[in-house]
Amino acid sequence: MQNPLHTKDPSIFPLKHSESIKQYESRTDNDIWRAFNKGNEAAFNYIYRIYAPTLFQYGGQFSKDEGMLQDCIQNIFIDLRRKRGHLKEVNNIKAYLYKTMRREVLRSIKRQKRSSFSSWAHDDKVFPIEICHETKLIQQEYEMERKEKIESAMNLLTPRQRQAILLLYEEGMNFKEISEVMEFSEVKSARKIIYRALASLKLIIKNRG
Amino acid sequence: MAIYPLYMKYEDYNIDDFLMDDFFIHWVKNPNDNNRHFWEKWLEQHPEKRDIVMQANLIISSVHYKSKPLMNDRRYVEAFENILKADNNSGLKKTKMEAEYQKPKFPWRGIAACILILFCVGVCYKLIFSPNSISESSSHNVTMIKRANPPGKKSILTLSDGSKIFLNSGSEISYTSGFNDSLRLVRLVGEAYFEVQKENRPFVVETGNTKITVLGTSFNVNQKQNGTLKVALVSGKVHINDQEGNHMQLKPSEMMVRDEEGAYYKTGFDLLTITGWKDQTLVFRENSFVEVKEKIENWYGVKLILQGNINTNITYSGTYKEESLENVLKGMLYTSGLAYKIEGKNITIKKAI
Repeated sequence: MQNPLHTKDPSIFPLKHSESIKQYESRTDNDIWRAFNKGNEAAFNYIYRIYAPTLFQYGGQFSKDEGMLQDCIQNIFIDLRRKRGHLKEVNNIKAYLYKTMRREVLRSIKRQKRSSFSSWAHDDKVFPIEICHETKLIQQEYEMERKEKIESAMNLLTPRQRQAILLLYEEGMNFKEISEVMEFSEVKSARKIIYRALASLKLIIKNRG
Repeated sequence: MAIYPLYMKYEDYNIDDFLMDDFFIHWVKNPNDNNRHFWEKWLEQHPEKRDIVMQANLIISSVHYKSKPLMNDRRYVEAFENILKADNNSGLKKTKMEAEYQKPKFPWRGIAACILILFCVGVCYKLIFSPNSISESSSHNVTMIKRANPPGKKSILTLSDGSKIFLNSGSEISYTSGFNDSLRLVRLVGEAYFEVQKENRPFVVETGNTKITVLGTSFNVNQKQNGTLKVALVSGKVHINDQEGNHMQLKPSEMMVRDEEGAYYKTGFDLLTITGWKDQTLVFRENSFVEVKEKIENWYGVKLILQGNINTNITYSGTYKEESLENVLKGMLYTSGLAYKIEGKNITIKKAI
């Protein structure tokens, strides 16, 4: 469906599979996933190239522990490769991997909390939002003020509301994809959470004058 | 592809409805011929909705992650290798994370880990220090080439690898002739536009304490004396590192900005504003009087002298392709009620009577 940007230039890395991008960028997610399930290495290569960096960024919203994020990505792909041949159909690779990443990161954070060093994961601080207009607009004082107002209001929303907003506007996911990533049972719930977030946003901005 | 939604539906939309509409968001985030055509046409027919649509568009496009951790190259490659390694070695399933929570059953694991760490340190040491020693030793028997443009002069250089550098006025570039076997390194002060030929040796632009690494791309670098730096990528891919360990990668049409306080951020950029200079196009986009003055002085190699009480709180926009200094001054100053007088390299600007 979507054709995500290639976040890694194949030629810069010592992996000799730059062909994989050319080969797969025009195929559907379902096709790519099937090829991966059959053991096709170029398909795996493509999936890793496209999604590892964005999974890292997404996971980074939950925790700043970069070593842990790397481990999570590693574990996800190790697991998927083990299960090749028996993987279920996937029509939207991005949503599926984000869901898996979310689970993996939350599990790791829980584990860290159990151990004595639990300085990470201040739950209310996850998924901070930045409002970033085009620079020329920001130069105007009025716009700057407005930007700050919206930004501080956004960051008063609940972390789950912020996550949904970021998936919608930053990641460009639709409601179906959001409900998969956040594991809602119905697409309706994704709509509801955004609807409520926008309503509280208006309220916050109004109350602050 | 996407199904055309009904025109009707959007007529009663308020801003919240737009903010929650998949097809609308898709247009803002991933414009393509299909949705662009639809929304442009719809806006034409509903001009009264333009304000709301633009507001919703602005909100959607301005929401971003506040923290954008980048998976650096080491982690990217290391994770990839670990994933492949795990295939042949079922014992290596889970990585560090879980190992921390399992009581080590065999003391020799620790010893093995120590050896592994020592080995890694050794490899890192080699990786970090050997390229430097190569570049130092080989730089003894090659000549250093330096090109500097005074204000008012621009130049184009073609390097031995076929790469092209457009060097702006008041800028300086230096490199070793023929480069060396493993690296194409140039040093820049000021502004230059690079069209780098693709080959295996990385091409590195060093400017201040920042390194920009590419293989083959086109990009603009603008470094100013006040410490600001702008790297704008037109095509391909660049990696930017500074000595403090900051790291950023750019995709085409992204620009990295380091402001005077040393803060880094990414934005988009207008191609003409940033790279127009290399095609002899002088561009002002809501530039302040001070910025315009600086640009003109550098562009034509002149000095602007302000006389009397001149309101400098005005912004200018304008595009001048291969224009003479006089025409630019005319165009700019006419609208603001100012007059100019050219005396050699000095231009006096004062209120028109």
